[in-house]
Amino acid sequence: MSQADDWVLLAYRLPRVPSTPRSAVWRKLKRLGVAQLGDGLVALPADPRTREQLEWVAEEVADHGGEATLWLGRPLDPTAISVVVGRMTAAVAAEYDAVAAEAAAARTADAVARRRAVARLRRELHRVQGRDFFTCPQREAARRAVEHLATADTAGART
Amino acid sequence: MKWATRPGVHVDRAACAWLIRRFIDPGAEFVFPAGPAAIPPGATPFDMRGAALGHHQGRCSFETALEAFGLTADPALEEIGRIVHEADLADERYDAPAAPGLDVLVRGLTLTSESDHDTLAITDRLFDGLYEHTRRQLMTGRPPA
Repeated sequence: MSQADDWVLLAYRLPRVPSTPRSAVWRKLKRLGVAQLGDGLVALPADPRTREQLEWVAEEVADHGGEATLWLGRPLDPTAISVVVGRMTAAVAAEYDAVAAEAAAARTADAVARRRAVARLRRELHRVQGRDFFTCPQREAARRAVEHLATADTAGART
Repeated sequence: MKWATRPGVHVDRAACAWLIRRFIDPGAEFVFPAGPAAIPPGATPFDMRGAALGHHQGRCSFETALEAFGLTADPALEEIGRIVHEADLADERYDAPAAPGLDVLVRGLTLTSESDHDTLAITDRLFDGLYEHTRRQLMTGRPPA
């Protein structure tokens, strides 16, 4: 998907105290890779999965005594939405770059540390991919950096 | 009894349906209303917003159902709960290496199934196998060969 047409929006309000549910909800939303459109207003490109993910966050908000409503929306202003998409893509790109940098740095480590790094970075890649809605170009570079590290490891193990 | 859940079933709903049919109500009839307003009278909703058998306290609906049905004494079901949790939510609360595979398989099934009933007929078999595998692994401490 290069540009999303429909977005699912979650408008929510949670009491300021206690702060634990607030930060738990926010952590969950960050993990999903939402675009923050305003205070208590987040959005994801709409598909059955993102819709369900935000439905459950809404349920959690309600469980904690807050208020949450879900909306389906289509932006009227394509320029504004490209700014939002740009921001989402930049956030994911930075995460991919960090993975690639860590993979590069681990190449000089010993075999055990390299293997550990490969396992950890593959998991991290998987996580980041889950919130990469616009097939960010940095994805391939990060994936290659990690697989390169894995190959270096097998080559090292054979000698 | 009638049980209602959202159409386009995925892993959590499929797991709940299996649990209901195998452990609670062998003659269970499943319906897939478009929204909460369309739930037929007398049907028990699950994995829908507002349902008691839903996501609560960070748990997926299957985990909630285990608790609600009093099935938490079965360690194999508890383990399947962890797998379904990770397949559905992937929040890394549990170590469940089988979860990503289960997620992919059930998602693929929903793409090729003709109906939700069709999907559940296959996922029932899948969960039967997962249950037996998990049970034997817990019994012997090793994955069955």
